Amino acid sequence: MSDQAIKVRTILIGALGGEGGGVLMDWIVHCARMSGLAVQATSVPGVAQRTGSTSYYIEMCDKPASGPQPVFALTPMPGRVDYVAASEFVEAARMMERGLVSPTRTVLIASTSRMFTTVEKMQMGDGRFESERVAAAGRDLAKTFVMLDLDAIARAAGTMVSATLFGALAGVGAFPWDRATCEAAIGSGRAAGASRAGFNAAFEAARGPAPTQTQSAPENTIDMRRADKFSGLPTEARNLAALGHARCADYQDGAYADLYARRMLDLAPADDAEQPERAHALAEAARRLALWMTYEDIARVAQLKTKRERFAKIRAEAEMDDDQILAVTEFLKPGADEIAAVLPARVGAAFLRRVARKGPPGFIGQGLQVTTTSVRGFLTMRLLAQFRRIRRSSLRFGYEQAAIDRWLAAMQAALAASPAFAAALAELPRLLKGYGETQARGQRNYDAIFDRIVASAIAAGDFSGAKQLRAAISAALADPEHAALDAELRASAQ
Amino acid sequence: MERSFATEIESLKLGEGQVFHGEGILAVTKALLQAGVSYVGGYQGAPVSHLLDVMVQAKELMAELGVNVVACTNEASAAAMLGASIAYPVRGAVTWKSIVGTNVAADALSNLSSPGVKGGALIVVGEDYGDGASVIQERTHSYAMKSAIWLMDPRPDLPTIVRCVEKAFELSEASHTAVMLELRIRACHVQGEFMARDNKKPEISMHNRQPSAPHDYNTLSHPPVTFAHEREKYSDRMPAARRFIVGHGLNEKIDGRHGEVGLIVQGGIYNALIRALQEIGLADSQGRCDLPMLVLNVVYPLCPDEIVGFSAGRKAVLVIEESQPEYIEHEISSILRRADIQTSLHGKDMLPMAGEYTSEVLVGGLAKFIEKHVPRLGNLGARNYSDEIAELRSKALIALGGPAPARPPGFCIGCPERPFFSALKLVEKERGPFHVSTDIGCHSFATFAPFSFGNSILGFGMSLASSAGVQSFTQKRPIAIMGDGGFWHNGLLSGVTARLLNKSDGLLVIMKNGYTSATGAQDLVSTPHAAETRAAGGASATDTELTIEGTLAGIGVKWMRSVHTYRVGEMKAALNEAMSTSFDGLKVIIAEGECQLERQRRLKPMRARALAEGKRVVRTRYGVDDETCTGDHSCIRLSGCPTLTVKTSSDQLKSDPVAHVTNGCVGCGLCGEAAHAATLCPSFYRADIVSNPSSLDRLFARVRRLFTGAA
Repeated sequence: MSDQAIKVRTILIGALGGEGGGVLMDWIVHCARMSGLAVQATSVPGVAQRTGSTSYYIEMCDKPASGPQPVFALTPMPGRVDYVAASEFVEAARMMERGLVSPTRTVLIASTSRMFTTVEKMQMGDGRFESERVAAAGRDLAKTFVMLDLDAIARAAGTMVSATLFGALAGVGAFPWDRATCEAAIGSGRAAGASRAGFNAAFEAARGPAPTQTQSAPENTIDMRRADKFSGLPTEARNLAALGHARCADYQDGAYADLYARRMLDLAPADDAEQPERAHALAEAARRLALWMTYEDIARVAQLKTKRERFAKIRAEAEMDDDQILAVTEFLKPGADEIAAVLPARVGAAFLRRVARKGPPGFIGQGLQVTTTSVRGFLTMRLLAQFRRIRRSSLRFGYEQAAIDRWLAAMQAALAASPAFAAALAELPRLLKGYGETQARGQRNYDAIFDRIVASAIAAGDFSGAKQLRAAISAALADPEHAALDAELRASAQ
Repeated sequence: MERSFATEIESLKLGEGQVFHGEGILAVTKALLQAGVSYVGGYQGAPVSHLLDVMVQAKELMAELGVNVVACTNEASAAAMLGASIAYPVRGAVTWKSIVGTNVAADALSNLSSPGVKGGALIVVGEDYGDGASVIQERTHSYAMKSAIWLMDPRPDLPTIVRCVEKAFELSEASHTAVMLELRIRACHVQGEFMARDNKKPEISMHNRQPSAPHDYNTLSHPPVTFAHEREKYSDRMPAARRFIVGHGLNEKIDGRHGEVGLIVQGGIYNALIRALQEIGLADSQGRCDLPMLVLNVVYPLCPDEIVGFSAGRKAVLVIEESQPEYIEHEISSILRRADIQTSLHGKDMLPMAGEYTSEVLVGGLAKFIEKHVPRLGNLGARNYSDEIAELRSKALIALGGPAPARPPGFCIGCPERPFFSALKLVEKERGPFHVSTDIGCHSFATFAPFSFGNSILGFGMSLASSAGVQSFTQKRPIAIMGDGGFWHNGLLSGVTARLLNKSDGLLVIMKNGYTSATGAQDLVSTPHAAETRAAGGASATDTELTIEGTLAGIGVKWMRSVHTYRVGEMKAALNEAMSTSFDGLKVIIAEGECQLERQRRLKPMRARALAEGKRVVRTRYGVDDETCTGDHSCIRLSGCPTLTVKTSSDQLKSDPVAHVTNGCVGCGLCGEAAHAATLCPSFYRADIVSNPSSLDRLFARVRRLFTGAA
């Protein structure tokens, strides 16, 4: 072997199938050839390309003045990659997990954008992998760590992430050729114009100062006058209660909002000192009480679907021009329970008895498509929204208020005895969500936990089971077949 | 077809002295033309699909050269094509994905290798082993040995691959034996360059047809001549092959200064080995190496003189042979024993039996070998390397707080197969779990979350056959799922006709998307014709193409339902009926919906053109109302569409993320269908967006706005 080894530059790109990684690889290979370098690139297309993780690997070096041609590897060697670029944040994590990012060698460019995996999305609660962990690992493991939202930059330029990855790689100096060579490789034409714009924006961003993480600001702002009503509550609870108060007013009326306020203030007499666990319990209670009191019935859904802001939001989300015309169609399929829920209690109960006896009438179970942007559809929805006028006398309203009072009483007892138990109990109504079958499942889980753990704690005056209660709540969110919850409740009974 | 090869076709025309730039598998294609093949065939599958795809698209060039290109309907039909080279001195090549395709082709391979060939016969197999592979088990090597077909495993650089292809034909002709050339997945897709030569027009071809067909019993694979063939394989053909291999220097001997030991390596592993040696300071980036090396570009047969010549006088040799079992090592062992060579032999005792031989793995094996036989070199930092990498991984795992969520491949955005599995999931919820025998194809993505269906996979087109035993003892009727690709590859014969013959019960679902989509959307006999796709425009073109239905009716299937996959409710009803009907016999549901990739390929330019011309265009997408979504994600558990995702709620009161549809939505309609069929929730909406609205559209919009105050 010779003593003057030629230095080989290694570049690994982690991406998802269908993101244009092959195009990026071709650009890089083209530039290397134009620059007179020896280059080799490999990838694993085929079935792996169908939306799954995939990677592209490139090696290049100066052409040797004498002797044999360089021998390039076809797979990246852990710890021996100079530049790793990932089009998505968890793909960057995957590269680190495989040992491909080294603190002595690797410049890591990670797009902070997330394309959630199916297992993250399908959870009943929040299954998202924490982005902060990827950032921490990157800071730990890369020699240089560049975080950019390459997807957002690409979208702003009207192009694909392949173009912004190319720009970011060029920006951090991954290539032994100049920017003009890259731009020439992208070529000309309409699509190339957008690619070039994306390339340039990412190039500058990768060279510029690290961007401050911009969290998208929550859309609802806190009304300070409402917050004053809750001045006795700890800060977070106060803010959430202000939102809850506003939500109840929008949902029903001022009196209903005042009921919310009374319930909250009853939970926390003003003279209480702030204590973290208690503060958390109150904040969670403010949140859950608001969501529970504004449960989604047909009237609420119709009300929300006909809000003026909604159409503007849809237009923005679909990136529509002013000149384009929008038609919005809803998919509704109310079940017998949901219809009974909005009817006056007696009528609703009679209706359900009839359904139990004779089966549901023909119109139930038929999917309805209502075009809310049409005159007829809009008026239909507005009409349904009017059911809120008789909501106070409706079947479900009575049921929910009783359940809320039962929960509040339990909260009160728990807050006095064990803030930890109260904090867990405050989260219990999180299980009550959804419509139809989902709602029934949530209700079943809620009732099972309330009866087995909460009611017995109150009866015995023993609130030491906070851990158990918490475990049962997570078990309820683990699977839709309530296998985990049943196992958990069996275990805690023993 | 999924990809256009317009640029690649140009590079197939390159002549003497011009530089070819491109993919490994296309370099093979070019080499075939340089070698003067008369015919080419094959069956698609990663990583060799492109070989055939580019030739199918390069009709003009092929016709000009006189090369007959055949898209075979399975690998057996491809292998049988090589029969042309038994009786006539014509060169031909076929290709498929191994090991799967070689299994299917086995019968024809036996009968090809028995009489042997007059003209060069080459089989290019994608040895799909290791990272990113979908069929990683077993080796093609065993087929080479059992059928006495020679096997090449060239170093993965383009000049070597091209040289091996050209030499393979000469070797085949010199030894009257077919030759296989195996390329691993990354070698097929490696981008490199080589110096081209002119394409050669075959002497016997469609342009120069043979006047008569000579009868020679020796060319038949039939007793009594097969007895003589069996003897010839080893008495004549193999010695001739060995003479050719040694005479043309197909295997490469590389010297190194630590001559007391040596490495024998499969050509395909050479690059990984060099990188491993570089890591421990025994090679440089140009491949100059301190350890002597024998690189086997031909891995079967081995040449005893070459092996003895390389091994004799050394203390030890290490055989670097990927995958199991260690055929090469065993053969070398016999060779050395017979020649009474006392060199120590190592291989699978120092390297792992199974799994890809990456540089990282090789560093570990090399270190053991060197420590034992060249102790003066020390550990060479191999241990530091493995410690360093172990530490990197453990650091990552700690910082990440656990493994990153897996991201297996899945259905594309708007894939018509997804709604079928949504329906099946709803049926499962009502009836409880039933046996699902699944198959090879895009639909096998339903084995992953969120669907998680499947109790067995037995092979391409085998699902119905594989449920024949199960149905006799399960309470619920088992379902066999098969793509139209699998149906034509094998399923019609091994599954459907077997059920009809036995008049037995069964339930088969055929996913009719019109193409073999998983391998790159190649055509089938039931692919919609141009007239049908034209008529369909942007809609699904598979509903009017009835070859499968006609075939099934023709052979006597009495219970058949065709349902468009996007009608989830109808599909659910059809499945329920099929599961519960008292009809005793084969029931077939044809789940029809054109491959979305193909549809979009047609639709996108149509839409762009219409937009550019200022015509009225409606785009449909779906959405979820943030305000009404409660964050349970039932909808995602029924879909798994990449564009149906989650986001942090804009409502501070909600702590769980809400469902969200990204702007990548192609408006396939599943979200709305599933919301209805599963009674999900009222959060989904459909947005129809009219570009270049007509004056009537505008007028109506204005009137509507008066009432609704919006949109």
